[in-house]
Amino acid sequence: MLKLDEADLTNRLAFFELTQTDFQRLAELKSFADRWTNEITDGLYELIMGHPESRVFFPDQATLARVKKMQNAYFLGLFAGSYDLNYVRDRLRVGTAHERIGLPPKLYLGAYRRYLELIHAKLLDHFQGNEAEATNALSSIRKIIFFDMALAIDTYIAAYLETMTRHQAAIRELSTPVIKVHDRILLLPIVGTVDTQRAHQIMETVLVEVVEQQAKVMILDIAGVPVVDTKVADHILKTTAAVQLLGAQTILTGISASVARTVVQLGVEITRMHTRSKLSEGIELALSIVGKRITSKPNHSEREGA
Amino acid sequence: MQVLSASAVPHEDNPLWEIRIDKEADIVAVRQCARDLAKEHGFDQFAVAALTTAASELSRNVWVHAHKGVARIKILRNGKRVGIELEFEDHGPGIADLNRALAGGFSTAKSLGLGLSGTKRLVDEFNIDTEPGRGTKIVIRKWKREF
Amino acid sequence: MASGTIPILKIGSTLLASIQIELHDTVVDLFQNDVLQEIEKTAARGLIIDISALETVDSYVARMLANTAKMAKLMGTETVIVGMRPAVAATLVRMGYFMEGITTALSLEEGLALQNSYTKAAEAE
Repeated sequence: MLKLDEADLTNRLAFFELTQTDFQRLAELKSFADRWTNEITDGLYELIMGHPESRVFFPDQATLARVKKMQNAYFLGLFAGSYDLNYVRDRLRVGTAHERIGLPPKLYLGAYRRYLELIHAKLLDHFQGNEAEATNALSSIRKIIFFDMALAIDTYIAAYLETMTRHQAAIRELSTPVIKVHDRILLLPIVGTVDTQRAHQIMETVLVEVVEQQAKVMILDIAGVPVVDTKVADHILKTTAAVQLLGAQTILTGISASVARTVVQLGVEITRMHTRSKLSEGIELALSIVGKRITSKPNHSEREGA
Repeated sequence: MQVLSASAVPHEDNPLWEIRIDKEADIVAVRQCARDLAKEHGFDQFAVAALTTAASELSRNVWVHAHKGVARIKILRNGKRVGIELEFEDHGPGIADLNRALAGGFSTAKSLGLGLSGTKRLVDEFNIDTEPGRGTKIVIRKWKREF
Repeated sequence: MASGTIPILKIGSTLLASIQIELHDTVVDLFQNDVLQEIEKTAARGLIIDISALETVDSYVARMLANTAKMAKLMGTETVIVGMRPAVAATLVRMGYFMEGITTALSLEEGLALQNSYTKAAEAE
């Protein structure tokens, strides 16, 4: 859930131009609120139940009754006179609840508009033609309602951001799949462009995996990296150096002719690293480093399908 | 010399940690403070290590070259982002050839022994203000990774 | 006289020093002294420094480790540094400090195996 502190609250109230005068006015309207809350709530739900899009969220009488009760409580809350962090937390909870049931913002905002219209009508009644007083009261109410709407929209945004964050984390994991090829031999095929952020993340994943798996050899295959310039080469070098610091070795595979050409022309020093053009060669080298090798089976015949 | 990003505003009400550096043990104090704060605010292990090491390097510089100085640490907030700022100030000898000090390659015992270029690579923002005879002020910032 | 701030054990002809504490600079210097004195005293063929407990290795500590290995080498002792943490390796490399010339291993077991192979190689000569 969205978090707000005292300073945020002060800034927000200031931007919505909510002052002590407004708070006092709202508190003074408590009796107005008590008198009209049911009618206003009914008016609001008349709109909501009158449209199929919004009606779906209130499938039965029990739900509707419960929600109307909460709506009354909400309305009365606008005139409670206390607009501190507790008030904010309460409003955020309301927003979160709506977001969770999947109520679209447009319906939310449309409902608020109706709300204001209903309140306006009742205010004119209440102040019996005293336009000035009614206008003042409406101004304060409008301020607090917009303040609440902002909080509600913010909870929606916070919820979407949270989803995005989760997805980003998943994408990160998927884009750095470290594979255990054999005992103590790991392989990371790097596919796609490698920018600085990704390079950092690759190094970190590689190092963590090497330690966790106690890998002796880390194979980095770059056949899937479209562009290998000095920056990318530098990132690869750093990763290799770091793996070496841990006490393991790196084998760089998937080096195409053009990459080999570029790297040497750029003067990048990768001669001290193990390198191979094909992944299969890299795997064979890795196996030999750990004291193993691939051999043919004794009775193997070239006649397949025999 | 890098200009600190204008959008990052240290929060008015934020607590500030101030640690005097006038004995060798203070290097560890600054380091531990930076480390604990970074962990507390959810920085990942790599970011914690980077910030802690940078803090260690810079406070060591203060101790070794100026023998006396101060480290100031604060939490930064920029919208949703969280960051940590460390400031190192001393009235020591200052750095005469700043460009050389910031140039690449890690310094050996023979050269300036400052390791500034290396430290710079560990953080997101690095600002240095120095004058021979006046002293040195270095401000570094590291932001928590978003996703 | 060994300060004893960091315990140094002997396993066969190998010394094992495991750094468990927060490294103040004076501790660092004492440690180096202790190690070299132990090598002299025991004529150990190998030294293993375990840094798995170190969350932070700055340039000073890195230099100390590298220098200790060089000094030990002069006395005929091979050094292997074990247990480096991923974040430590990343930080050193990002700083540009590659710690050339020192040997590292993933674990104590690996370090010991390495030391054994050094000893065998030396004996073969």
